[in-house]
Amino acid sequence: MIVTKKSLSRRTILKGMGAAISLPFLDAMVPAFAKGALVGEAPLRLAWFYVPNGIDMRNWTPPVEGPLGTLPGVLAPLQPLKDDMLVLSNLTTNWGRPLQSGPGDHGRALGSYMTGVEVYKTAGADLKLSISADQIAANAVGHLTRLPSLEVGLEEARQAGNCDSGYSCAYVYNVSWKTESQPLPPISDPRQLFERLFGSDVVEAPEAHARRLAMRQSILDAVLGQTQRLESTLGGADRRKMDEYLTSVREIEQQVERAAKEGATIDPGIDKPFGVPAEFPDYFRLMTDMLIIAFKADITRISTIMMGREGSVRAYPEIGIADGHHPLTHHMGNMEMLAKVRQINELHTTLFAEFLMKMKNTREGDSNLLDRSLISYGSGLSDGNQHTHDQLPTLLMGRGNGFVSPGRHIIYQRETPVCNLFATMIQRAGVRAEHVGDSTGELQGLSLT
Amino acid sequence: MGPRNALTQARGPVAPPVGVVYNTAMARPDAALALAALYLFENKRQARVGAVCVSGAGLTTAIFCDIVARFYAGPARNSNQALPVGLASVNPPPPDPPMVKPVVDRKKPNGDPQYARSIRQLTDTSQAEAVLRNGIVFNAETVVVLSAPATWIAKSLDLLGAKDQYKQRVRRVVIVESDGPQQDPIALRRFIADCPAPMFLCGKDVGDALLFPGSNLDTLFTAAAAHPVVDAYRAFKPMPYDAPLHDLAAMHFAVHPDSGFFGSSGPGSLSVSDQGGLKFVEGAGNVRRLTIEPTKKEEALTALVAIASAAPTPPAPRGRGGL
Repeated sequence: MIVTKKSLSRRTILKGMGAAISLPFLDAMVPAFAKGALVGEAPLRLAWFYVPNGIDMRNWTPPVEGPLGTLPGVLAPLQPLKDDMLVLSNLTTNWGRPLQSGPGDHGRALGSYMTGVEVYKTAGADLKLSISADQIAANAVGHLTRLPSLEVGLEEARQAGNCDSGYSCAYVYNVSWKTESQPLPPISDPRQLFERLFGSDVVEAPEAHARRLAMRQSILDAVLGQTQRLESTLGGADRRKMDEYLTSVREIEQQVERAAKEGATIDPGIDKPFGVPAEFPDYFRLMTDMLIIAFKADITRISTIMMGREGSVRAYPEIGIADGHHPLTHHMGNMEMLAKVRQINELHTTLFAEFLMKMKNTREGDSNLLDRSLISYGSGLSDGNQHTHDQLPTLLMGRGNGFVSPGRHIIYQRETPVCNLFATMIQRAGVRAEHVGDSTGELQGLSLT
Repeated sequence: MGPRNALTQARGPVAPPVGVVYNTAMARPDAALALAALYLFENKRQARVGAVCVSGAGLTTAIFCDIVARFYAGPARNSNQALPVGLASVNPPPPDPPMVKPVVDRKKPNGDPQYARSIRQLTDTSQAEAVLRNGIVFNAETVVVLSAPATWIAKSLDLLGAKDQYKQRVRRVVIVESDGPQQDPIALRRFIADCPAPMFLCGKDVGDALLFPGSNLDTLFTAAAAHPVVDAYRAFKPMPYDAPLHDLAAMHFAVHPDSGFFGSSGPGSLSVSDQGGLKFVEGAGNVRRLTIEPTKKEEALTALVAIASAAPTPPAPRGRGGL
């Protein structure tokens, strides 16, 4: 028998005027003799979730090292995912510390988190940091996807001004840095994120773009012809997958449009772009649903997500907290304030757990997106009241294509750089990097095999 | 201009105290005395502890160093103010020197540990190469006293940006020669070759010329009925004996190079044999050899003994920076 049918390229994109929609993994992408398994190694997705202002560490750290049992309060929302997670204790950002620089812990905490270098103290344009871990990875493997990386944020970023005791706002609003002086601002506008993912190299004229939006034409309409032609070549299972996928794209598109229409009815106490959902949970879900699509369709394999800028003063009226987050973390032992900090921390982990469950439920070949990812969750501050930069709250989620042996709490020696974790993550993605910032080597013990 | 500003102007700006990174195997009583002196220098704001790191020994030694720290500096502060004692973690761990275990194991009559500590297990200690590097940048200016296998301090030089940090911040490195060969000659060779900071060899002859009056041990250390350094001194070998003050001399020179107690040779090279022997040759090189000023020897000994046996007076903790 002569096999003549060629597989569909994984890089196939549906294109129309102003639109480009990448495809999810389909059976049609697997060559004839490799059915039932991905050819070659499945792409590894890397993501870093950053939470500001530290964490209520009394309710974060599991009591003992070893297999995870009942998780402490702030981690409790992740209980259903305890076999997919590692809790990593005693990691440090040495360059977050005051050392000789005096005040400015928030600027240093975020600035040094993924760069691992000293944060040059300036409120001016003479920023000086270093390339961040995600961008080291993007430089090495980003060419394999349409977007080398994706930076997402849940607060509108500022790049200028004095935000923290002489440290530029660029340091507290950006976790990703392309070079020592160039931050990569996170996209915080849902519409902008959507168009980043589904925009095309073909530039749509502004009038055509405005006309399409005014006529409420879906981005899917722009690629309808190609979609129909492609679907006619697919088997039943792939047609169903395409339908599910395009439905989810359309649902997100509708959420984005709805958010733009509804505007802000609840004041979270921060600047936010037009078109952001009124409630923080909805905002988080909308942005991370798009991230899942981006991973699923291999639009990118590398992402950073800032839950808030470092030092965020966001209020959380949706859970009854009218005070700003940052002021609450300077509780000086006030139990009422500390309880509110814990509530905020738990809201963050609840939403994070939802996102992870969606990743886990997103099939890819014989596996799922979570198993094919390494997702870090943490902060450059541990105790927000004392502004400590060691014993950081750090999680590693996912199995990294079989690399990680999850379900454990691992305690490292003190002063172990958090950049050791980031170096290990990007090395698993095939990046050869001798150092990431102040890393001292790979983080041992993540794998038991 | 108010009175305070006028006074500050009259005095001029006060230089911050020099930071000290002490890499020790804690193998001898002079090392314990040097550690005590370091914290006493800090008490007097003449120096600031950057990092203490144990290599060539095990967890019990790290606990001992922590006990000394707690004795002199009070309860452990958050790591913005002081870094946890480092420990080179190797498997199997090297043996601990005999003098530290009796101190760590000593109990009060009620069975509680005699000495307060914040280190109980490996994960309470700091990763060695990280804490050595972090200790060097902890202060604007740092001096390094190396009295341990050079394995980990050599590794710290390989870290990203470390050589530049050494060049910018390390004022001098003092390498201690005592009884016994260097444990990692290859690493020491590499460190001597690659370290951009000025280096001094505190040769065996310096410590041998400065002998602690062991018979005065109890009259000198009067700060507390139970004293970890005294216990260690006694546990090292049968009393009475006069311990050569290798590490203590190195520590004093590191913090007070202008004391007048020590001279130094011209520049030269320091070679390390495969058997761990050290040989200094004057000529081309970046190393100088310390000498004891003959006319100052008694005065030097008196000063070293005084600083090592002083009573602790922990300073107030530094304030937190930030919003």
